[in-house]
Amino acid sequence: MSQPVEKTGKGSGDGKDKFYRLRLFLADSEPNSLLARQNLDLFCETYLKDCYVLEVVDVFQDFRSALENGVLVTPALVVIEPQVERMIFGNLSDTRKILEALGIEGARV
Amino acid sequence: MKKPVSTTKGVPASQELPKARTYISGLDEVLRGGLPEGRTTLVSGGPGCGKSVLGLEFIYQGALNGEPGIFITFEESAAAVRNNARTLGWDLEKLEKEGRLFLMEGRVNSRVILSGDFNLKGLLAIIEGQARTMGARRVVLDSLDVILRLYNDLARESEELNTIYEWLYDKGLTSLITVKTFGDSGLSSRYSFLEFMSDCVILLDQRMLDQVATRRLRVLKYRGSGFGRNEYPCAITGDGFHLIPLSSMTLNSDSLGRKFSTGQPDFDEILGGGFSQGSSIILSGSTGTGKTTMACSTMLAACQRGERVLYINFEESERAMLENMLSPGIDLRPMVKAGLFRIIPGIPEAMGAEEHLLRFMSIIDEFKPDHLVVDAISSTRRMGSIQAAYEYLVRLGGSCKEKRITCFYINQTEGSHDLYDISGMGVSSFTDAIILLRFFDTGDQVRRQILVLKSRGTKHSSHYYEMMITDQGFELKPFRNVLGTLRSQQFEDRGEA
Repeated sequence: MSQPVEKTGKGSGDGKDKFYRLRLFLADSEPNSLLARQNLDLFCETYLKDCYVLEVVDVFQDFRSALENGVLVTPALVVIEPQVERMIFGNLSDTRKILEALGIEGARV
Repeated sequence: MKKPVSTTKGVPASQELPKARTYISGLDEVLRGGLPEGRTTLVSGGPGCGKSVLGLEFIYQGALNGEPGIFITFEESAAAVRNNARTLGWDLEKLEKEGRLFLMEGRVNSRVILSGDFNLKGLLAIIEGQARTMGARRVVLDSLDVILRLYNDLARESEELNTIYEWLYDKGLTSLITVKTFGDSGLSSRYSFLEFMSDCVILLDQRMLDQVATRRLRVLKYRGSGFGRNEYPCAITGDGFHLIPLSSMTLNSDSLGRKFSTGQPDFDEILGGGFSQGSSIILSGSTGTGKTTMACSTMLAACQRGERVLYINFEESERAMLENMLSPGIDLRPMVKAGLFRIIPGIPEAMGAEEHLLRFMSIIDEFKPDHLVVDAISSTRRMGSIQAAYEYLVRLGGSCKEKRITCFYINQTEGSHDLYDISGMGVSSFTDAIILLRFFDTGDQVRRQILVLKSRGTKHSSHYYEMMITDQGFELKPFRNVLGTLRSQQFEDRGEA
């Protein structure tokens, strides 16, 4: 069971200079949620090293947060900073889509 | 993986299925009490059929009646829903502030990016959390197909729907799910499996009948309960969704009420003592035969006794009618002023038969007339089809009969063979009296004739009489045919011939 956690990735990365604040909404331990968590961890280590904050919310533990963010679908990744006003639905298996959402171009895939 | 069922109510296994009242006029009758409590009902229909209004009224009325509810709108914005509700006189904001109603906008932002598979657990978590917080038992998802379209994969859609259905069932929520269809009736094949999954299925439909829009509601299935199986006309009027079940107008064969006078002794005489209170009467005849004069004269007499009369006029304006009646000496104006005689003009084409009916029914409820005149029922066919007009009259008549209101249906016939054209829209079967007016051509002049064709439970005359419109109403005389033979003995016996 995943709990709301806060995690800051650190290390010398080749990501952009921007700082990313992400919020991942999951639904307890259902498969897509577990997969999304794995995929996102990998993505962040690869592309956003050292410059991101990830907050994980279980919608069944904190429905109000889901409500405030308008999250009906899980898994859902909300990009809080930079303010791209973007939301990504799904288990995040398509890395290019995440790069697109974060506005990271020309990165190696 | 499923959470343990925590709040499912022990649903009794007896035949008595618990029901959640909709408080929607007419619908609970058809559903024999309401929607299945703790189960899922599917409401489907094309765009503009009234699915959202039906769902919203279920939540709104529930909230007013002590059952808080959640309404999730996937298509319209929450602000639009609040505005729509306001036009129906429903103050959602007040109920929202009081925590009795929760309105949530579930529209998916167009800037959403899809990356891999997903499900609607967020939605379920919100419903669960919110339901727990406010003690809600009712939830409406309007319309679920919009969010399901995200999948763009029929197999995934039905899988997800299955999950939602099971989850709602586990939570014991009384749910109403709306789905859009684009076919003629029934669900499009895309969601036909929903009909099997739902405990209750309601189909809404809007169709055009001779250029008039008419709405229909039909209950397709109701697991474990009886229900009205007809197609019911319905309407969305100023204050919500209305259904007009035929069952509510059981043709009760109660004995007729007391006799009342027409104010014209000769007329009373040939009727066998006047009309019966609460009966239905057809006044039939071609144009100019004196139908309106006869009705107004009789109604003036009623007003003079302090009785109340509602006159639905599809033929002329209130002013024209009042002025025209002055010529035969029938001055209704003081009665209008006294509030005893009320004229409601109506334009048949202005709205569908259902809207007309509901409008008049609400006026009847408010005005509480003793007598009702519909001038003329032949115009009602301009409300759409003959069928719509017939249903309109049957329902109006049934409602009046229940309320013991006398109904005068004026029927304008065409052609000269009046006698067999009087049945007017086929309503004669539930009328208690039929009066026929016609012209009689004597060769050198045209005279008016009157015949009491039927008057249930009275010894009425079966002769033709001559009707003469004077400047003081009308007079009846035994009719002398072309040969000058006196046709009736009655008047002679009374020494009036």
